[in-house]
Formats: sequence, C-alpha cells, structure tokens
Amino acid sequence: MSIQIEHLSYAYRLPSGEKVEALKEITCTIATGDFVGIMGPTGSGKTTLLQLIAGLRRPTGGRIRLNGKDINAHGYNRNLLRQMVGVVFQEPENQLFATTVEKDVAFGLKYSGLSRPEITARVQWALETMGFDFEKIRNQSPLALSGGEKRRVAIAGVLATKPQILLFDEPIAGLDPYSRQHFLHFVTKINQAGTTIIMVSHNMEALAEYTRHLLVLAQGRLIDSGPTREVFIRLKQKHSGAFGQTEAQKITTLLAKNKLVLPAAVVTYDDLLSALKQELAGGGPG
Amino acid sequence: MRMLPTGEYIPGHSFLHRLDARVKLPCFFILMAAVIGAASLWGYVLVVAVIAVLILLSGLPLPAAVASVRRIYGFLLVIFLMNALFFGGEDVLASWGIVQLSRGGMEQGFRVVGNVVLILVLGNLLTMTTLPTQVTAALASLIKPLKFIGVPTEEVAMILSIAIQFIPTLMEETELIKMAQIARGARFESRKLPERAASFIPLVVPVFISAFRRAEELALAMEARGYRNAQNRTRRKKEPLALRDYGALTVCTLICLVQFLLRRC
Repeated sequence: MSIQIEHLSYAYRLPSGEKVEALKEITCTIATGDFVGIMGPTGSGKTTLLQLIAGLRRPTGGRIRLNGKDINAHGYNRNLLRQMVGVVFQEPENQLFATTVEKDVAFGLKYSGLSRPEITARVQWALETMGFDFEKIRNQSPLALSGGEKRRVAIAGVLATKPQILLFDEPIAGLDPYSRQHFLHFVTKINQAGTTIIMVSHNMEALAEYTRHLLVLAQGRLIDSGPTREVFIRLKQKHSGAFGQTEAQKITTLLAKNKLVLPAAVVTYDDLLSALKQELAGGGPG
Repeated sequence: MRMLPTGEYIPGHSFLHRLDARVKLPCFFILMAAVIGAASLWGYVLVVAVIAVLILLSGLPLPAAVASVRRIYGFLLVIFLMNALFFGGEDVLASWGIVQLSRGGMEQGFRVVGNVVLILVLGNLLTMTTLPTQVTAALASLIKPLKFIGVPTEEVAMILSIAIQFIPTLMEETELIKMAQIARGARFESRKLPERAASFIPLVVPVFISAFRRAEELALAMEARGYRNAQNRTRRKKEPLALRDYGALTVCTLICLVQFLLRRC
C-alpha cells in the first residue's frame, strides 16, 4: 500500500491568534513495504506528519493518497483507514485502560467483525509476537505491569488489528538497550512480512541501521529525503551533521581531525569497522 | 484549523497585564457579581460595554478572548433549550405535552447563556493576562487572614494555582489519548447514549491515571527543588499596590454599585 504525500501543509492558531505553520508543502512518496524513518529537531512537525498520515488530523493544504485515493476526500471510509493504518504514539502505555491484558489488546478488534475465537487467536498472536507468554499474561491487569511490558502490550494492541501500514512515534525513547534491540528486531520482522513501517525517532543509530529511506524535517519543511545512507552522508556534508549524525560519523570526524581520513560513506558501526580494518591492512585512502 | 487549549497565559505589557493580581482577583469576583446582578437590558449593556473595554485594555485579539466560549456552543444551546422549553411561565408560544415554549422561558434562557458567556470571557481575561505564580501569590495574600482560624492558606493557594495551571495540560493530554484510542478503533460518536457513555471509558481511565501520575511526579519534583511545608515562604518581590490598582478596584466597585442601582429602578 503506497502513500503519496502531495504539497501537504498543516497550520493552526495559538490562543493569541498567531498562526503556526507546523508543516509546509511536504511532497514525497512512500512505497509499499518500505521502512521509512522520519528525523528532525523537536518541533519540526514529525508527529503532526504521522497524525496526518493516520487521518487523525485534516491537512490545511495538499493531499495524502493511499493507493491513489485521497484519505480526506468526502466519502472516504475512515473505518477502513483505521484498519489499514496502525499508530503507536509516544508513551503508548498511557493508552491502557482495560481490566485485563487480553481485553486491552482485543479493544481495537471490537468492530472488526471477527468471531470471539478469531479475536482470541489474534490477541494471542499479537502478544506472542511481542514476546509474551499468552496464558501467563492474558488475565493480568495491564496497569500492574512494568513500564517496558506496558509498552509491549500497547504495541500488541495496535498490532492485533494487522494494519498494512504501521506508524511509530518515538517507539524506543525511554527503553533500556535490551528492550530497544528487541523492539527493533520485531519491527524488522513485521516489515519483512510486508508491513510498511514509518518510524519517527531521534535515535540516529536505529534510523541508520534499520530504515531503508529517510525523511528529514526542519521547521515544518522537508529538507532532505532518500535512501538512508545517502541522506546521512548528505546531511554531514551539507549541514555538518547539525540535523543529526550517527556515532560512527562523529568518530570519523574525530579521526579526520587527527589525520586519519576514512571514506565519507561511513554511517554505521559496521561501516566504521570495515573502514578501519581496511585502513589497518594498508588499503585505506590514507 | 486546530486551536490550542484556551485560558493559557499570553505574555504582554497591556494595562491588564500590569495590574496587580491581588486586585485582578477581587475585581473578577466583583464584575462577576455585576454580571449575575444584571436584570434589565441596560444592565446587560453596562456589563457588555465594561467587558469590551477590558478586552481592549488586555491587548488580546478578540478571538483569543472569546475562545473558550466557542468551544462550548453545544453546551450553551442545551442550557438555552432547557430554559426555553421547561421554564414554564404564562406567555406560552407553543406547547407539546409537558414541554412548553414560553416567552419567559426564552428570556430566562438568553439570560443564563449570557451570564455564562460573560463570566467565561472575564475568566479568560484573568487567566490570559495573569501568570499562575501571580495567581498563587495573590490568593495566598487575599486568604491570609484565614490563617488565624487554622486554614493552611499557602497550601490552599498552591493547590488552587496548580489545578488551574494543569487544566490546559490535561486537556491537551486528553486530546492525545483520544486520538490514540481512535487510531486503535475507539468510536466516540455512537448515537445510543449507553454505548456513547461506555465508549468514554478508554478515554477517562487513561486520563485519570495520567493525572495521578503527573501529580505524583510534580510532588516529587517540587520536593526535590526544595519545596517544603509552605509556611514562612519568602517572596522575591514585595511590591506595594500602584495607583492604577486602587483605581481599577474603585471603578469595578462603582460598576457593581451602578448595576444594583439599575436593578432597583
């Protein structure tokens, strides 16, 4: 399911009457099954863009098309949109409310038309995909779980509806390194199964290693987009990494200051390791 | 176009911004009494004129000053209809069983809606031109005499101020949670009342939990920053009231007196 974003703008007014343009003239295309990262400074419009793609806000200009159909056109089936596009907001654990984990995860399936056994099977699948023992967790109160577990339950709740497009807003913020790794591994798995993933993050390593394409926002404008590696290289060359650079890129800069110049294509730790190995073997550019 | 939560402080240097909060608070209550006391057309003309002048003196754009009114159109309509259809009275224009549309009811409806709107605008003007910290200090100062009968005045002022300050934050959080629940299939627009009421559980429970979590975090943060029992709290500035403050208090009191004189005429 491809997403075409055409001249998308979104503005709102502050109580003082001042107009704020959160997004200005965004145009890009996200292909079916892609894994896209969105990065940019705080207040650059990343979350607003996700909310617009999910159809939770209406744009003040431009269009968003899913498979060629304008999602804000009169008569577009919003319920179908909810089934196709899943959103995991920042701190999704704050959405939990039901008395048991099973009921909470099943919440999104209430209007799906599935039978009770089908719903149970779907809930079991979602919880097991998120690494839970279904029988052990199903009757527990979601509010009594740890922070990381709550987040996984909340994500399972979105996953249970089997959306074709999954939007994540800062999903790994506040997670410990193990949970972060586990989460990114899981996202890659569902992306490989065909789900389009769009992930907003400030974590440069995660974006560099896991996403295939990148959108860079600054002050509501799309300042760069393209294959992840190319975007990171361009950002470093054009803006000296002001909009974000990976740790490997920072180390490369530091080495260059100490007269050890590595190729500009170093973006991830693996790239850095290969470049250093080559350098030690005497094959580097010197 | 989305509007941000209303009632938040908007920085400025207008006459209302510069007025001391210890005067603005009593003035607000005096003008509120004048609004409630309005009984005739001239009474309403007076309070509407006063509020129009206050909007000019606040330096706020009109849409900002009346923003909270725009948010409760539906509620105001319900109030009006309840009064117009169930107030009764002798001058009945139409009737359907126990429901009667009367001239008196419509007048009463207009009066109640008018009072709510005017008091909301006054409240907006107060909160949009006064910092929450100024409100706390003013409240603490005004209720100080109650200390002698054992009322923890500083704590009461702090609680009220924090409650006021957190309304916009909680509204914003409610909107975000609502959006998140809609995204995972919640339907808040059901026409059947029981279904509609039940559909709000996914919204109400997380908002309550979030409010308690915030309260706990805030209490810990305040304690970590040195807040103890508010007794003997010192103030950085101790400014006496200015001439404009005395002037504003006098004018507001006079307006209230005129209103009650008009009521007697």
